[in-house]
Amino acid sequence: MEPFEDDRLAAALESLRPTPGPAFAAALDERAAAGFPRAAAAGASPWRRLAAWLGSIEPRRALIPAGATALAAVAAITVVVAVGERGGGTRSDSGGGSLLSLTGESPDGGGDDGAKFSAPVPSIPSLAGAPSQEASGSAAGAGAVAGHDLGGRETGPYASRAPHRNVERSAAMTLGADADEVADDAAKVFDAVHAYDGIVLRSSVDGGDGGEASADFDLLIPSAKLGDALAAFSGIAEVRARHEASDDITAPTVRVGERLRDARATIDGLLVQLAGADSDAERGEVEAELRSERRRAAGLRSGLAKLDRRANLSRVSLRIESDSASDSSGGSGGWGADDALGDAGHILGIAAGVALVGLAILAPVALLGLLAWLASRAWIRRGRRRALD
Amino acid sequence: MDSRAARSTGVNETLLAPAAQAPAAADIAFDRLYRSSRDEVYAYVASMVRDRAAAEEVTATAFERAYRKRSRFDPGRGEPRAWLFGIARNAALDELRRRGRQAELAAEPADLTAAPAHESAEASERRLTVSRALAALQPRERELIALKYFAGLANAEIAQVLGLSESNAGTRLHRAVTKLREACDGAV
Repeated sequence: MEPFEDDRLAAALESLRPTPGPAFAAALDERAAAGFPRAAAAGASPWRRLAAWLGSIEPRRALIPAGATALAAVAAITVVVAVGERGGGTRSDSGGGSLLSLTGESPDGGGDDGAKFSAPVPSIPSLAGAPSQEASGSAAGAGAVAGHDLGGRETGPYASRAPHRNVERSAAMTLGADADEVADDAAKVFDAVHAYDGIVLRSSVDGGDGGEASADFDLLIPSAKLGDALAAFSGIAEVRARHEASDDITAPTVRVGERLRDARATIDGLLVQLAGADSDAERGEVEAELRSERRRAAGLRSGLAKLDRRANLSRVSLRIESDSASDSSGGSGGWGADDALGDAGHILGIAAGVALVGLAILAPVALLGLLAWLASRAWIRRGRRRALD
Repeated sequence: MDSRAARSTGVNETLLAPAAQAPAAADIAFDRLYRSSRDEVYAYVASMVRDRAAAEEVTATAFERAYRKRSRFDPGRGEPRAWLFGIARNAALDELRRRGRQAELAAEPADLTAAPAHESAEASERRLTVSRALAALQPRERELIALKYFAGLANAEIAQVLGLSESNAGTRLHRAVTKLREACDGAV
């Protein structure tokens, strides 16, 4: 046999070239003509079918529907948030002089200090346990002090088993009204406060000769009637802002009550000791100790009464203000261009917030997905490189 | 004379329908690529996977992948045939990776290269010699031979398929052919 020149080698290689079988070639031609339809994956798992479907999506074509879906989601969530804001304790008025917004903060954060309220608070009959009686040595009085059943019950400093919770509540509300209606609305506030057995701690009404009027109130409302009172205030004028806060003061209440009970028990013991004193010196010593203990019990009672006032009376800060922007634009408080701009800015702000939150959620997921995809690609390339080694 | 009636003459639905359903340029180009490359892709894939059934499956998979990605092909980045063979190469390597058949690459199954019935004795002997020498090559060298002589690609296209420079691909191909020829001459 002659040596392998290039042409002979090429001819030999050509004769070695694998050729597809006629049946396979015909079947492939048929599939190509049909646009390579996907085989019916009857036994394939849903994940495999989903992966095949995702793999068939062209990125460029998927961008438009994906973007439209994201836009629709942002729009839908924005509408839900905006509607939720308007429905949250505000009312709509056909006069429409004010825009609605939710702001505000608690005027009194509350705390564990029994002397938190420095304002003079008159006592009211409904306050249970504001006892004025001197310590008389009655153990029963100690057990029922301040309306708390402390006798014989296990009460720790955190009052996990307290019979009921002492909660201090506070609220702040801002109402919007036309300047010439502020005075009338302020009168309605007084009426509402009295209707719910509340107390006006401070009030200030500015007539608004310059076009702007306002009224400020610091109120104490019985906690049991706070919700009704706030609803009544909301009916006086447009609600611009409303904020409520609560603080659990059960632990300090229970702690002070326990100390008071201990003090009374000590006083009882000292009284017995005083009755059995044999000499003047011993009697004088016991009386001095008794005076000291009574002073301590009085201080504890005062602290307990203050804590109960905080629980039973809720502090409400109420402000009525006129909307000068509405007055200047329409006179009668109609919805104008400035209001439209404000609403548009508000809606855009919500939309931006929703988009930002969405990005904050999606960005880490997308980053993880990208890393997983890159790792998968690297793994596949490594496997392909090694397939021929 | 009614010009409107004259304009309507000869217009029918059979002329309108194909215009509405005209295939896209990418479909036309792919159809042309498929018709010109079907056998070459099969030959290349069969030389890689060394199994007729697997070669048919991988060939079909490669064309299907190419069809799905046809709109993403960028003519500015290379020849369509090189792009198609790149897809076929990845499909073949995936098959090898999946089945762990690297060890079987050394053996060449007889059914892939059936001898013609009227082949002369010398031609048959030469063919057998080349077949044995080809089987003795390294898989990467055999792939170069397959891309050149089975698929009929130019050196530039081979370079694009393998991700090499054209000069590097030419050098490697020359070495593989030289090695194959030496093996054949040694057998003679």
